[in-house]
Amino acid sequence: MNAYKTMLKTELKLSLRGMDMLIFAIIMPLVVLVVLGIIYGNKPAFEGAAYTFIEQSFGALSTIAICAGGVMGLPLVVSDYRGKQILKRFKVTPVSPGMILIVEVTMYFLYALVSLLTLFAVAAIFFGFRMQGGILQFILGWMLVMISMFSIGMMVGGIAKNAKIAGIIASALYFPMLIFSGATLPYEVMPATMQRVVDLLPLTQGIKILKSATLGLTMDHVMIPIAVMAVIAAICSFVAIRFFKWE
Amino acid sequence: MEDVIRVEHLKKSYGDILAVDDLSFSVKRGRVFGLLGANGAGKSTSIECILGTKNADHGLISVLGMSPISNRKELFQRVGVQFQEVHYQENIRVGELCEITASLYSKPADYKSLLKEFGVADKINAFVKELSGGQRQRLFIVLALIPDPEVVFLDELTTGLDARARRDVWQILARLKAAGLTILLTSHFMDEVEILCDEICILKRGKPVFQGTVEDAIKQSVQVKFEDAYLWFTDEEVAEE
Repeated sequence: MNAYKTMLKTELKLSLRGMDMLIFAIIMPLVVLVVLGIIYGNKPAFEGAAYTFIEQSFGALSTIAICAGGVMGLPLVVSDYRGKQILKRFKVTPVSPGMILIVEVTMYFLYALVSLLTLFAVAAIFFGFRMQGGILQFILGWMLVMISMFSIGMMVGGIAKNAKIAGIIASALYFPMLIFSGATLPYEVMPATMQRVVDLLPLTQGIKILKSATLGLTMDHVMIPIAVMAVIAAICSFVAIRFFKWE
Repeated sequence: MEDVIRVEHLKKSYGDILAVDDLSFSVKRGRVFGLLGANGAGKSTSIECILGTKNADHGLISVLGMSPISNRKELFQRVGVQFQEVHYQENIRVGELCEITASLYSKPADYKSLLKEFGVADKINAFVKELSGGQRQRLFIVLALIPDPEVVFLDELTTGLDARARRDVWQILARLKAAGLTILLTSHFMDEVEILCDEICILKRGKPVFQGTVEDAIKQSVQVKFEDAYLWFTDEEVAEE
């Protein structure tokens, strides 16, 4: 436990020193929230809607940090630590190299959590945000999306040949999902044809679950997204564990 | 005296290439053992097999009476390792790297006093990547000593150091030896091997071609200087006759 705590503390320091995650996981979601808030204010999502545009977007915004940590942060750090043989060095210590992976996952979980809490605070204070659905449902959905996204990242980091390839794959996953899954640009403003295309992105499905939970809609029509997230998590975790390269 | 490291008939190949071919040796407590050979002779592969980071194809290995693979967690509480390059996170400070390393062990040595002992205490807040070659090498020795080990593995510790820094490292190793530590090292510098090692093994394309003391090596090769003896053992033309 001592090793876990010390490593987590140091990895957090190193990460904050790098600034990337602070910008992409904490500041960026807030900026998008404020921009949407300025544009749409407390207006209902559409005429006669029982919820505001911000409430409709909240779930999506809460995935920006998950996406940054899971699909960008994790693959980069895992492949980097393998390339620098940091993982290998742990093999000649009493602690398993798996420990550092657990530490990284914890760190990106913390970023996502801080982002969720700051988004909630800002949305509630400045834009009259109210969670219409059950908090528990939202948390469960948020966890599912996180497990699914992190497993994608772990798979990419675990099997990519080197940090460069991991970086390319991570970018190919991160930027389309950041822009087109509805995380930043709202899904609702996209034309129907575009919506059908972006539905193919895993995160688009994940966001549907969170939207439904935030707005208190019935969970029945997000059964498919839930299944998609679970299947992605299962497949990617399996591949990551089965084919993980320690050096 | 007890054997701290024991290697019997170690074999390891990569595809068709035999990297280590039937290597056997043992190191007694408190002794310094040098594994020598040209680049690609199989030194690093041997060390990795002994440490369990590579699986040997064949052979028995025990360190402090334990298997490096099945008793890994217990064994590495008592073993310090320095690889050819120490692998550390970008932007990590000296103190942070030491702190993480110490947290891995149940009874670590006090790294602050180790840093002081090795003359790098003033670098505790410096970034590791900004240290000079000599300072970094001292830090790496400190890292290998943080477990408060009974045996240390040092792979080409002095490569890339200037003469002064190399002498400093020798003094440190001589002190550690005097303190009863068992050391296995690899080196390309015959002067330091001559000074530090009680026993050596010379590898040539994976095969041990000499094992014994430095004096024996000189005698057996009919040379005057150890460096010439080493070259005599490893040189293709002469050795193959």
